[in-house]
Amino acid sequence: MKRFLYLICMLIVATSCKEVFVAPPQALLQATFYNSATNIAYSPVISVLGVGRDTLLYAQDTIPRAYLPLTKRDTTHYIIWLDSKADSITFIHETRQKYASIETGFYYEYTLLSVRFTHNRIDSIKIIDSLVTIKWNENIKLYIHPLPVSGI
Amino acid sequence: MKILNFTFILCLLAAFSFGQAAPKKKYKPKRTDQYIHMKGLRFGIDVSRPFQDLWTKGNRYGNEFSADMELWPNLFPVFETGYEVMKINTHNINYSSNGSYSRVGFDYNILSAEHDDDKDVFFIGLRYGFAFAGQKVNRYTIDSYWGQENGSFPNQTYFAHWTEFLFGIKGEIFNNLYMGWTIRGKMKLNNIDLGVPPMYFIPGYGKSEKGFNLDFTYSVYYNIPWDFRKSAGKKKPVVIKAVVKKPVTKKPEVKSDMKAPAK
Repeated sequence: MKRFLYLICMLIVATSCKEVFVAPPQALLQATFYNSATNIAYSPVISVLGVGRDTLLYAQDTIPRAYLPLTKRDTTHYIIWLDSKADSITFIHETRQKYASIETGFYYEYTLLSVRFTHNRIDSIKIIDSLVTIKWNENIKLYIHPLPVSGI
Repeated sequence: MKILNFTFILCLLAAFSFGQAAPKKKYKPKRTDQYIHMKGLRFGIDVSRPFQDLWTKGNRYGNEFSADMELWPNLFPVFETGYEVMKINTHNINYSSNGSYSRVGFDYNILSAEHDDDKDVFFIGLRYGFAFAGQKVNRYTIDSYWGQENGSFPNQTYFAHWTEFLFGIKGEIFNNLYMGWTIRGKMKLNNIDLGVPPMYFIPGYGKSEKGFNLDFTYSVYYNIPWDFRKSAGKKKPVVIKAVVKKPVTKKPEVKSDMKAPAK
């Protein structure tokens, strides 16, 4: 009888824990910023807005790299302010749906095909790794013109 | 004075009782025969199946029925069948799977009975299980900066089979009414590639992504004590109809030439 009660208590403890379902992972494009004159990484003040979205992805953040989510469609448009100068970037990519688990759900992975951009602050963009997966790594190098007054 | 008398009598009784030899225990001989103890068919219902969601992630429930009989001494062929439903409903996914399954195999009792009417068993067993099932992702949601994207996958049907190694007990709690638990180790035999999403749940087996699953069942059984061997062995007594002829009673013939004895 004592063992039976012990078993019941164990079952209650085991089942009282709330089921936790983890959210699916996300594949993000990692862009690292470099000074085009020196080829040295640096941290500009950036703001990023997805075209068609109301909210900024980054708002006046001083960061050495940005993580950019891509859309389900084959092109993703961003407006990026680098030290208050705006540029637009368009990523052309292939999208694949991936399965994490039934408990977690699904996510997308991408293959970056090309990048189009304006040249206000951006000097050039180099694709390092075209596979945008849930294992985040440097996908593009974004070379920025140095500011004319303050040396970067 | 009365108290003293009682004390004296009690001491005397105690002294006599010490002097007496202890009564001999009646040892029942251990069972050495190979008799079939359980007569007839035993039907069971697994009472743990409806409450599986208590220890399984998601909402899993079902029903299972079983039938077994002691066909040979200590060897019980078993048939189990049931259906199961698995549902997961979170913000990210709404998944449902259901299907029916069956298992065939045998249990072998390793407990030696001490009495003829001792029907409790501790058994080891083997099963072959198979299931026909379907699964469907009714909705999935992918959240990102670009907003929420929803989608679904159509129904996928599949067949799966596995083997089980198990042990457990079945104890007779009332006349012909049994209860018992079983611990089962299940090994999957096939892998079906359904694409996306892959097969997630197999009724009667569990999560298909695991090659080995451990399970616990608790059942209630009722033995229908129909001794089919006895009834099959019984022969109707042969009725021999004897033709009984009536005895013919002949009147003694009186011959005419016979003369009555002279007086």
